[in-house]
Amino acid sequence: MTEKPSDLVQGTLDMLILKTLALEAMHGYGIAVRLEQMSHGVFRVNAGSLFVALQRLQRAGLIKSEWKATENSRRAKYYALTEPGRKRLNTEKQEWGRQVAAIARILEAS
Amino acid sequence: MSLLRNITSGLRSLFFKERGEKELDEELRGFLEMAAGEKMKQGTSRKDALRATRLEHGSVEIAKEEVRSSGWESFLENSWQDLRFASRVLRKNPGFTAVAVLTLALGIGANTAIFSLVNGVLLRPLPYRNPNRLTMVWEKSRDGSPENVGYATYLDWKAHNKSFEQLAIYSSWQPVLQVGEPEQLSGLRVTSNYFRTLGVHPEIGRDFLPEEDAPNTNKVVMLSHSLWQRKFNSDPDIVGKPINMNATQYIVAGVLPASYQSLMNQDPRGGAVKIWRVLGYDISQPWACRTCHHLVAIGRLCDGVAITQANAEMDTISAALSKAYPKEYDDIGVILTPIREQLLGPASTPLYILLGAVSFVLLVACANLANLVLARATDREREVAVRTALGATRGRIIRQLLAENCVLGLLGAAAGLFPAYWMPNVLASIGAGDLPRLDQVHLDWRVLLFTAGVALLAGIAAGLAPGYRLSKNNRHDSLKEGMRDSGSVASRRLRGLLIVSEVALSLTLLIGAGLLLRSLSRLLVVSPGFDPANVLSMQTSVIGQRFNDNTVVRQYFADAVERLRALPGVQSAAAASQIPLAGNMDKYGFHVEGKIHANPEEDPSAERYCITPGFLETMRIPLLRGRDISPADTATAPQVLLIGETTARRMWPGEDPIGKHVKLGGMDSPWWTVVGVAGDVHHVGLDAGPDLQMYIPHQQWPFPDGLMVFVIRVASTPVAISSAAQRAIHSLDATQPISRITPLESYVGLSVQGRRFALILIGAFATIALALSMVGIYGVTAYSVAQRTREIGIRIALGAPRGELLGLLLRQGMLLVVCGVAAGVIASVALTRFLGTLLFDVQPTDLLTFASVVLLLVAVSAVACFLPARRAMSVDPMVALRDE
Repeated sequence: MTEKPSDLVQGTLDMLILKTLALEAMHGYGIAVRLEQMSHGVFRVNAGSLFVALQRLQRAGLIKSEWKATENSRRAKYYALTEPGRKRLNTEKQEWGRQVAAIARILEAS
Repeated sequence: MSLLRNITSGLRSLFFKERGEKELDEELRGFLEMAAGEKMKQGTSRKDALRATRLEHGSVEIAKEEVRSSGWESFLENSWQDLRFASRVLRKNPGFTAVAVLTLALGIGANTAIFSLVNGVLLRPLPYRNPNRLTMVWEKSRDGSPENVGYATYLDWKAHNKSFEQLAIYSSWQPVLQVGEPEQLSGLRVTSNYFRTLGVHPEIGRDFLPEEDAPNTNKVVMLSHSLWQRKFNSDPDIVGKPINMNATQYIVAGVLPASYQSLMNQDPRGGAVKIWRVLGYDISQPWACRTCHHLVAIGRLCDGVAITQANAEMDTISAALSKAYPKEYDDIGVILTPIREQLLGPASTPLYILLGAVSFVLLVACANLANLVLARATDREREVAVRTALGATRGRIIRQLLAENCVLGLLGAAAGLFPAYWMPNVLASIGAGDLPRLDQVHLDWRVLLFTAGVALLAGIAAGLAPGYRLSKNNRHDSLKEGMRDSGSVASRRLRGLLIVSEVALSLTLLIGAGLLLRSLSRLLVVSPGFDPANVLSMQTSVIGQRFNDNTVVRQYFADAVERLRALPGVQSAAAASQIPLAGNMDKYGFHVEGKIHANPEEDPSAERYCITPGFLETMRIPLLRGRDISPADTATAPQVLLIGETTARRMWPGEDPIGKHVKLGGMDSPWWTVVGVAGDVHHVGLDAGPDLQMYIPHQQWPFPDGLMVFVIRVASTPVAISSAAQRAIHSLDATQPISRITPLESYVGLSVQGRRFALILIGAFATIALALSMVGIYGVTAYSVAQRTREIGIRIALGAPRGELLGLLLRQGMLLVVCGVAAGVIASVALTRFLGTLLFDVQPTDLLTFASVVLLLVAVSAVACFLPARRAMSVDPMVALRDE
């Protein structure tokens, strides 16, 4: 990896976490790893910001949590998407697509 | 939904803090373990792997802190910490805390007290349904003033207008209730729709019926809740029962709720209205005429009709009436006064003046507290520097200081609630003049809320500037021992500014108090036109069948006066239908022979005193010309009257009024002959110039007054004679009620009470403000002396004359005072005109008042500067130099 991991665009972490959880319930570390993998190492989240975001999403009712045993038979808190969370992910995705397309148009116009 | 979850989750982490902490800890540790485990799989040693993950993700503690501080509950937690810390700091500095709390208690207490007054009188809702739709309806007289209406006019208004949902009228009524001891009550005669107009429903019984509002029907009355309790022992079956008043039987229709207290009679001399009866007029009655202006109209506007619209419509109706009856109207339209303005308008100006004045006291208190906090801030610079160095942000430091001040503010508020609690007693003891609804003044949630708000605001206001200063200090300098006075130029400037504003505010208050004092002293030397000392007054009214005969009434009062005169210690006695300054109002049209207007309604009216012989002598009203009324002016003798000096001058300028003829009331009345001119008396108040006045022999008045006021002049104190005087009257007829047993001097006192009240309060505020500012000036000078001890020591050691040094220190303090005085004078010139109606015979910019107040303030400030400065003079140079 020659490039340093980038900071996330402001406000996108929540959306990315929701996306990560769309497939299956996961614990905190799992989410961090998945984010890194899916972005091919571009995004790396530190524990502080991740758990702040998880607490925020949980309080907004977009995700829920449960203590479960991991594959290595440790105890970990697993986070899962709720129905409102799934809806939010969809709207955020659309909104994001719209914005990216718009930004791209601006950048390509010359 | 999510807000609710947010709140419950926040609360959970507040209350089950340990469990939450543990879970978070476990979760984070697990996270780092897993991350390290991943690295170990790639062959790193456990130790290195753990180190690497910590580098990547930061320590568990920092991550935990981040999560913790992201929720709203952490704000609460920090605030709680701040408050606890603040209390600890304040407990450790009892001297500072005591002075600060006392300062705030004075400021907040004064404000709470005045606010509770404003709240009770002005802010509490009026006891009517939808009161902002209610307006008084007056005829507008030629000089633009409001005038009562006659019954015939009311009927036409009611028939023709479309603006009012209801239009009612009332007039005052003073029946004698013959239940137990006969008692004169304050009452109203009202049209049957009166309570419907106000939107008040009886608590028990029923409202008046329209068919009862006619002559010779059932006489029904409504009782106030308090009268029902007091006189009828809260009898639940009172409705339908007969009660005796004025030797007539009335039937109780209902009792009004306790929450309804009539505001229609605001004369403090008369007491609140306790009983209502239907008006029962009929257009054929002689007193129902258009010129019989003795009824007050009140209306409820229809929904959606603006008051200006209604006024325009009423003006049109009134113009049509004037055209139809040109000799019976002299009005030029109609005046609508919203009921709130009518009832509370006169009270609101003085109250808002008081509220403004008292807010100055609070500002002075805040400035003083800010000064105290600033002085202490210098000692705390090291503490703040250490905390800043340990990572506290500037916001956090300011918050901490504000928390301290809020605690101070709340302590001050707790102490400041006492004045509001005692306000009703204070009002009762110093007398508030004719402010309405004083019984509503007490502590309620509005007052508590106000107090808490003011306290927090005061705390924050007093803490903001010092907090800002303190947090801006260069932490480097502060940490170094010995560098005690960093940033002192800016903070000294700030403290100077605070002193200047304190002085300016105090000066403004002092000038206000000074102007009021001058007004009151001017007013008190105004002669009322009679000598109130040693005169007792008491009111009676005759009731019973036998008094239907005029000669019996005349004889009764003549006899009563004789009995009073015979009492030992009585110098003279008389009776009159009304007396000056007692809140009575009785005017009659005054038509001078040869000078009657084409429309007699445009002739002036004069205050009518129907008197027994000896009234002028008893009151010591001087007889200027002609002769007094004598016992020889009997019912069969030629009709004569006395006039007042103003009447003589205005009606017969340059002529001798003696022997001239006038008609009183309507044009069909006989001619009366002027036989004498008496000195003017102030009837309405000492501050209102005398109007037209006339005195008529009770023996000759065609409808002799049954309600009369006795005046009894004695050698000693007037109250001493009261029981003997009552016995004397009851010896004539024991069934007659006697009320308002009052020395004339109390009536004179009542007429200046409103001003006296304002003076006492504003004077008290000015004194508090002055004392606080002097403490401030003293403190600032003492502080600067303490800081310059070393400099002073050196100067003394080098041989500076002590007098010069004293001058140097005094100059510094007095410069602030002079700036404050200048600002205060400017503020006063701008503000004193709002005292307007409270002033009497004094200009708002009265030079004498301004000059003496400035002198007083400068003198007191000089003392406040001198005391600490003198201490500096006694500095021993050796001690001062060794000190550092």
